[in-house]
Amino acid sequence: MAEGTGDGPGRALPLTGRELVETFPRYADLDEHVSVQELEPREARTVPVEEVLRPELAATYPYDPYVHQARALDALARGENVCVATSTSSGKTDVYGLQIARNVLDARARGAESTAYVVYPMKALAQDQQRELSALYDRLGLDIEVAVYDGDTELGETRRRIREEADVVISNFMGVNTYLHNHDVWSRFFNSCDLVVVDESHTYTGVQGMHVAWILRRLKRVLDYYGSDPAFVCSSATIGNPRAHSTALLGESVTVVDEDGSPRGRRDLVLWNPPPTERRDDVAEPGADDETDEGEASFERQPASVEAPRVFSHLTYHDVRTLMFAPSRKLAELSIGRAREHRRENPRYYTAGEPRAIEPYHAGQGKRKRHTTEQSLKSGALDGVAATSALELGINVGEIDATLLMGYPGQRQSFWQRVGRAGRDAADALSVLVADYATLDQYVVDNPGYLLEGDVEDAVVDTANDRVFAQHLLCAADEVAVDESDAGPDAVADRDRLERAVEMWRRAGKLTGHLETGVSYTGPPRPQTDVNLYATDDEQYQVRMTEGTPPEQEPDLEPLSRERAFRDYHEGAVRVHGDQQYEVVDIEHGRQGGSSQPFVRLQPVDVEYYTRTRSEVTVLDAESEDSRAVNGFHLHFGTGTVLVHHAEYDRVRISDNERVGVGIPTELPPLTMDTQLCWVEVPEQVERGLVERYADYRVPDLPEEAQSPHLGYMGGLHAAEHGMIGAAPLELMLDPSDLGGLSTLVLDGHLSADERTVSADEDELAGPAGATDDPGSIEAVRTALERCQREGELERSASGWFVYDGVEGGLGFSRAVYEAFEALAARTRERIAACTCGRTAGCPACVMDENCGNDNRPLHREAAVDVLDHLLGEADTEALAAEATDERRPPLFYS
Amino acid sequence: MEGGSARLLSLPPAVVADRPSDAIADARDYFDPDGVWVLATERAPRAHATVRSATGGADAAVPVVHTPLAAADGPRHDRLGSDDGVDVVSVRDTGTLPAVGRALRDGTLGTRPGTTTFVVCPVTVEVEATRLSATLPAAADLAALVATAPGRVVVLSDLLPADYDHEWALDASDDGAAAEDPSSVRIHGLGATEGYGSRDVACLTLSSSGAIGTERVSADRFGLRALEGVGPRTADRLRDVGVHSRADVRRTPLRELTDVRGVGRDTAERAKRHAEVLAAGEPLRLSTTPLPGEPAAAPPLCLDIETDGLSPTIIWQIGVYDPVADEHRAFTEREDPSDPGRVVTAFLTWLLAEHPDRDLVTWNGNRFDYRHLTSFVERHCPAYAAEWHDYWKHDLYDWAVRQDNALLPGRTNKLDHVARKLGYAGADTGLDGAATAAAYGRFVRTGEPLDWDRHEAYCEDDCRALWHVYESLRDADRRDGVVVERERAADSEQAGLGDF
Repeated sequence: MAEGTGDGPGRALPLTGRELVETFPRYADLDEHVSVQELEPREARTVPVEEVLRPELAATYPYDPYVHQARALDALARGENVCVATSTSSGKTDVYGLQIARNVLDARARGAESTAYVVYPMKALAQDQQRELSALYDRLGLDIEVAVYDGDTELGETRRRIREEADVVISNFMGVNTYLHNHDVWSRFFNSCDLVVVDESHTYTGVQGMHVAWILRRLKRVLDYYGSDPAFVCSSATIGNPRAHSTALLGESVTVVDEDGSPRGRRDLVLWNPPPTERRDDVAEPGADDETDEGEASFERQPASVEAPRVFSHLTYHDVRTLMFAPSRKLAELSIGRAREHRRENPRYYTAGEPRAIEPYHAGQGKRKRHTTEQSLKSGALDGVAATSALELGINVGEIDATLLMGYPGQRQSFWQRVGRAGRDAADALSVLVADYATLDQYVVDNPGYLLEGDVEDAVVDTANDRVFAQHLLCAADEVAVDESDAGPDAVADRDRLERAVEMWRRAGKLTGHLETGVSYTGPPRPQTDVNLYATDDEQYQVRMTEGTPPEQEPDLEPLSRERAFRDYHEGAVRVHGDQQYEVVDIEHGRQGGSSQPFVRLQPVDVEYYTRTRSEVTVLDAESEDSRAVNGFHLHFGTGTVLVHHAEYDRVRISDNERVGVGIPTELPPLTMDTQLCWVEVPEQVERGLVERYADYRVPDLPEEAQSPHLGYMGGLHAAEHGMIGAAPLELMLDPSDLGGLSTLVLDGHLSADERTVSADEDELAGPAGATDDPGSIEAVRTALERCQREGELERSASGWFVYDGVEGGLGFSRAVYEAFEALAARTRERIAACTCGRTAGCPACVMDENCGNDNRPLHREAAVDVLDHLLGEADTEALAAEATDERRPPLFYS
Repeated sequence: MEGGSARLLSLPPAVVADRPSDAIADARDYFDPDGVWVLATERAPRAHATVRSATGGADAAVPVVHTPLAAADGPRHDRLGSDDGVDVVSVRDTGTLPAVGRALRDGTLGTRPGTTTFVVCPVTVEVEATRLSATLPAAADLAALVATAPGRVVVLSDLLPADYDHEWALDASDDGAAAEDPSSVRIHGLGATEGYGSRDVACLTLSSSGAIGTERVSADRFGLRALEGVGPRTADRLRDVGVHSRADVRRTPLRELTDVRGVGRDTAERAKRHAEVLAAGEPLRLSTTPLPGEPAAAPPLCLDIETDGLSPTIIWQIGVYDPVADEHRAFTEREDPSDPGRVVTAFLTWLLAEHPDRDLVTWNGNRFDYRHLTSFVERHCPAYAAEWHDYWKHDLYDWAVRQDNALLPGRTNKLDHVARKLGYAGADTGLDGAATAAAYGRFVRTGEPLDWDRHEAYCEDDCRALWHVYESLRDADRRDGVVVERERAADSEQAGLGDF
């Protein structure tokens, strides 16, 4: 909001970024690890209020709106949908708050009503926003009732009264999904609905995003049933593709307003790489040979979870009101103690006896406790709070001087969202990122330009997943009969897709009727209750604890998808949540027909090892739907069947990464997923040249008879695939664990029906319920592929790698990877080449992937850079040995 | 209906396994089936034995079939039911179906030619939502069956829910079903409904013409559990003290029942009363609350609507029975189904003119009839919306069951079940709500007129059944100590659209 420019730009911080570095204990040479970026302030740009609002509102609205507010309100006045994509606390609430006020005034002038549906991503935000909107209407002198209606709303009369009287209803998408079933009791509200607000719309990506896209389409059908055609407002953080994202979410065109007119104070951004724990004696020179590669000493830095609380302690000591973001509840709690300890350990620096007031904050705490913390922070009674992402969105905590991030949150969008919590209302602010020695963190601290200059990530939302579509179609038919008006480019789905889905459900006994006359739902009551915003499948594995587990040791886990349960929660797996180890003691798949709930059972344990799952992946029947050539490489997007078998796991000792148990069977059947994938085919000439160039490479610890001249090149493909999946979050808002990969010398995995029946009967593989005890299925498929290879049937098949969506039906992620392939390849190359690990086999910060099913072998960084250089047109393909070799390639597969 | 008919009770083994045998016997008494099929969802010899013993032992007239236990692979044949009966052939796997077709052709099973043969077989439908496809894995065997069998065959599947009914096209093409196609087969479910913990048992009324009527009742409505307030734990405790059946509950003095742990005086009284209601087939009123629509100068009009589905695009029939004049009125859209407003407007015009001051009563109207009528009135006849809103709309089901004002003698609270238990002899139209909705859908699509009289008779039957239940409740006994206060109650509460 535009209010409270109080002290204005330039209010001095108790500690600048530079001063923080200079005063921090025992950091003589912090410069080597820490950089300070100084971001200039930005003046507010406003439009006189009387130019934006009608006189009766202009008279009471106390500010001149920012330019983005004014533009958004103009677009809404023209009846357009709007996406406002501007920074945190830039007054987005007032945009729709004022539009609601205009709608209500218009309606009342003609003796009618106007209502608005405001949907937030989290219940926690609803009360805050209700207060904020109500305060706005109080100030404007308008009698507009704003009510929260969600799972916490008292049943009965309270709910009935809200439905029948409230002007603005605030809810969340799980609620909207549920309430659509009984839409008739909302007839008054839907009849008069002029505005639907999707707040924090950038958070709807991936699985959740596609569910929300379908819920919005269902909501629009019901609104249409009541004759309403409201405008939509998406309120978004800054993302790379606001138009494409909101259009995909709403299924309608939108006007994007992203020119931010709100002011900003000076901001110091400190990128803090913790000091090394120990230095290797023999740091490999860049370009040096491979001899030191497999040396035992490894370069590591202090974990952010240890370093960040020290910085937290230091800042609060200097009266800097600090909000620290920790990645888990446990770490938020632990940080408080570690911050205090830091003071005690450095008595020379910190003279004050008692540590200042600091508190943890996370969703595991009671509502009252959280509210007290919020209030204390707001009033100044607290100097610092160590919070989880529970404080990331929207909750007003007053003026914060500094934000401190324990580890990079994975995305620029989320990074700036958190950073933006400090220095609201144009005050100066300090932000510190304490990097982990992992994946993206090191890239970010080495390349501050990535944070400061680049566009933020694209938010990916996609409605192509037929499984999710089909589930929402059942709900839609339950709400209002599905008919021909639902077919078409601007409707629920195109005719063919709709017909196919209706026919499927008619055959399954869930729908009845025809599109010409209306299709009704006939399955078990309330299909809406089967919708899970976090999964594409209704089959979810609940996480249960063994009996007698103390409540404080119960991890806070959402139900797991089948894919995830199989990979990470097989029997015997040891998982760490917070800082507690858990062993999976039981996995129960439920029976076919859904007569029992699948679950995994965890037991808190204290063991000296963790487990690593070994997986075999094969992609079959990849069908290209879209393709293009890039410097002689061929890129494809399409669909296919991914067979994944998490067949074995290793136990790895934590202290030295030594394997203490190898190849323990998981006893799980293989999984098949029909999903979306993208793949790249390496041109034959490049392949031959690179095989030759890296033919002398030997995979360490592999017996000589198992070595092959292809392994160097293969390691390059494998490393490029890992690197690309690791770098994907640099361009796209996604969770890399939702992506899978497979690099192979034989991309063509088509088998005839006969070959397949011999090898892997798909029906048998359909899931745990129908699965046979046939863990060799993937082996059998590979054997068949290898036979084809030997017999020359696949001779023309190229080598390369697949990237696939790791959930049934797909998420749109591989399509996004396909579309952004060159940018992603460039980013991947940069990241792999620049890594300071100096190892051919790479490190977790460049090409190693904790989810690798092949134990991160073979990996070859230089070969990967070489492949990517050719892909990007930055290498001389002609210079490669053009000689054809007769040697047939082994069909090697690495996931 | 012409020809024979038979009642086939299907019991899922999982339901049998955790039901005491008196509950099974109770289900048998309630449905009075001609044959009991223990579903082939698994091999369940104990369930089979339990059912046989509960239905009269090995010598009983009622066959108890569980195909996984069959001695031979060959098909089993039963002729069940009244008149000439209905032929039911049972096999334990789909691979036997071609042989069944040949046996039917050759007449070796002893089935009657010219009538429908029902073939019980565990057939599944495989849904692959990611590919938007639903297929019949046994399509080839089914095609062989229907190609060879001379007469009409309906397949009853152990593995599909009892409300499942689909005409499957069996040719290779993947597009929709065609009823006239000779290579199509009708598949009807026998099993429990879907969903976690579903405990329905179904009784199918099969007729030799091929018609199937389905009655589904929750397994918890049999034996002691049928009694309100008696959950699984209480039932176990009652059995522990020797109270095994509802007859035992009626015989046992209240004092002894309240000695059972967890059974309070209220529960015991209620259980005893409910046991009486179920035994006598008479309803019992539990409160002094007047019947909905009482007192009034004239009793309410009984209302029922027919739509084209549960999410209606049209209300194509509104039936109104006036008990004062003993007259029924049907408003039916026979001409132009593209105009969903005509029937509603005609009905409202008549209602406002003829009965401006009568109340309306429905069965479960708060959840269906009033919901949709109101929505259609607001959209298609807004001029009368305010007047429609002012009518007092009662829901007898809501009053009796949800507001707990009466105990009803049916095992389900469906109108036709309740009315039948209360002695209502309805017109046998052979229709139910889904069938009449589907028929109208066909009319809209093809323009081929329905047998309108039959469909109006079906709706009228529901209106009259409602009045029968209303009268039964009006005349019903009240719980001891409940005084008639009909005169005192000034106005009954308006049952508007409830808060669901």
